[in-house]
Amino acid sequence: MTFDTNVIFSNLPEILHGAWVTILIWIVTTLAAAVLGFLVAVARRFGGVLLDRAFGLVIAVLRGTPFLIQIFLVYYGGPFVGLSLDPIPAGIVGLSIYGAAYFSEIFRSGFAAVPKGHIEAGLCVGLTQGQIIRRILLPEMTMLVLPPSVNMTIILMKETAVLSIITVPELTATLSAIGSQQYAFVEALFVLALFYWVLVEITGWLGHFAETKLTRFRFFNI
Amino acid sequence: MSIKLFELLLQASIYTVTISVVSILIGFAIAIVISAMLLSRQRLFVLPAQIFISFFRGAPLLVQLLLIYNLLPVIGINVPSIVAAVVGLSLCTAAYQAENLRGGFSSVPVGLVESAEMVGMTPIQIFRRIKAPIALRLTFPALVNEAILILKASSLVSVVGIVELTRMAQDLAGSTFLPLEIFASAGLIYLVINWIVALAGGLIERSLPGVPR
Amino acid sequence: MSVPAIAVKNLVKTFGGSTVLHGIDLEIEQGQVSCVIGPSGSGKSTLLRCMAFLEESTKGTIAVNGEVLGFAENAKGVRERVPTAVNRQIRSQIGMVFQQFNLWPHMTALGNVSEALKTVHKMSRRDAEERAMAQLVKVGLEGRAGHYPSQLSGGQQQRVAIARALALNPKIMLFDEPTSSLDPELTGEVLNVMRDLAAEGMTMVVVSHEIGFAATVGQQIIFLDHGKVLFTGPPQDVFKRPRTPRLEQFLDTYIDRGASMLL
Repeated sequence: MTFDTNVIFSNLPEILHGAWVTILIWIVTTLAAAVLGFLVAVARRFGGVLLDRAFGLVIAVLRGTPFLIQIFLVYYGGPFVGLSLDPIPAGIVGLSIYGAAYFSEIFRSGFAAVPKGHIEAGLCVGLTQGQIIRRILLPEMTMLVLPPSVNMTIILMKETAVLSIITVPELTATLSAIGSQQYAFVEALFVLALFYWVLVEITGWLGHFAETKLTRFRFFNI
Repeated sequence: MSIKLFELLLQASIYTVTISVVSILIGFAIAIVISAMLLSRQRLFVLPAQIFISFFRGAPLLVQLLLIYNLLPVIGINVPSIVAAVVGLSLCTAAYQAENLRGGFSSVPVGLVESAEMVGMTPIQIFRRIKAPIALRLTFPALVNEAILILKASSLVSVVGIVELTRMAQDLAGSTFLPLEIFASAGLIYLVINWIVALAGGLIERSLPGVPR
Repeated sequence: MSVPAIAVKNLVKTFGGSTVLHGIDLEIEQGQVSCVIGPSGSGKSTLLRCMAFLEESTKGTIAVNGEVLGFAENAKGVRERVPTAVNRQIRSQIGMVFQQFNLWPHMTALGNVSEALKTVHKMSRRDAEERAMAQLVKVGLEGRAGHYPSQLSGGQQQRVAIARALALNPKIMLFDEPTSSLDPELTGEVLNVMRDLAAEGMTMVVVSHEIGFAATVGQQIIFLDHGKVLFTGPPQDVFKRPRTPRLEQFLDTYIDRGASMLL
């Protein structure tokens, strides 16, 4: 078995474009999912029982079904309800909604994990609801939600590969095409695996770095 | 959408469940080996184990499946695609399960091991009678979680041509032009299967005597 | 005079940068109840754990009934590890009761007590359970034999732990703050079991904050402060006529809290 590195170099522009699309989708989806997830978590906590239950049901469905099925629904089923999206927008929408479901759960447990006593102490010294959220709840939550959030970012990054199935021209699609056209599957897939692996490791390090920098927000859970 | 279509989906879901179960079991066996390598504290074993876990958690499952599906013939191993699919899933879940086991073992309270030492048990006896049973009980919820993840991840073996639930849904949606109904039904079936697994897991967990506080 | 049950010579223990025990010299006599008291952080638990070889000493030796446990030291201070099998055999003379009980949660009370008899001493299941049951009767818990630790109160759990240690016929029993994790109303049942044990002549070393117990049941009181033995002696000498100012200071806090027997 030979390992032909020429395959990589002669197709470099295409490969870099694919990598760029992957990273772009990853960053946009992560931000959208985090924001959306946060809003949903807030709505669930402060918006009343009915809203909480409704969102809860939707989230259970999103977490209980494969992402592939969800993206098929958006891309192939979308046009039937008037939502005709190109692959990249469809991918971003589908992945953002999927990610938001998980992020909302992360933020929800973050809210719940801040000791009630801290909130009550805020009320006792006369802080308003808004001030309590901004000055107490959010800072204390930060340390709690950081590790699972970093984890989720990594998961979303790996899920972008699935978008290749609906013809989004990200890295997996690009390298698979090159691999099959030029009978260099092993080389192509190897580079592919390496790319994700390296990105995951880097994200993990950055997350760990951020955790150590933010330790002042950590409170001791006895 | 007709009953007939739903039936086809259900039949395909049997493949989903079977593939998932087999992968989980094989993955668990591999995970035990990997965990043992991690716990051995011998550099010769720890390093490969860490690399294994890092790789199979770091690359997307889709890429892993494609890699194994295309790699095996190249190095002369010709197996049916379903075997390649199961191998891919098993290796991936093994990495996650090894991490779960590691967490379980490190959560065994030290005092329980010390009291075993004080009554004279050898390290092997302590492992067999105390550490392993308690670690497995602690790991159980994560195991149930992993089972659900594999059931969902099995949807990806559709790309290597296995006709499980997702593949069937794709084919049917293509031929009947009813993507919404078909994919929603497929999603529903996945949902029910996962719900049953979660329920069964909870029941089993409650019947296991004593998890340390 | 017979060989001391436990002989501690020049025991030093450091954790990383800090020294917890600064050269302890002690003798625990056969059949005596020795109580180790002192402020938190004085090294009481560490001392006990070194006696059980759950912690490795940094310097010094521990001898149980004449046999050196853990590390042997020659006159020049060169240390040599005692073989594991020898350690295990020496340790079999010691039974230990922990602050956190440390009952195995996946076994019943009977299971906990009989486990070592089956696994280590290869007794048949019937013989092991018979012996275990006898121990449970001794601590008053025969009715709870089939219960899991999660179904027992703290006091009951600790009594099972004592039964578990006693089932192996130890010559010496070590107690590491046995009642510190218990609600005040539950300490009595455990202390009673310990009192009975002492009356039978068991050699006991008890690390505890229960000064009342130490004063009434203890025969040798060891006062430890900042890793040094400040005082040892019989209770009358320690409690009725406090000697060192540090001891007086320590006991004062107990008098304030109503340990009037110290006045």
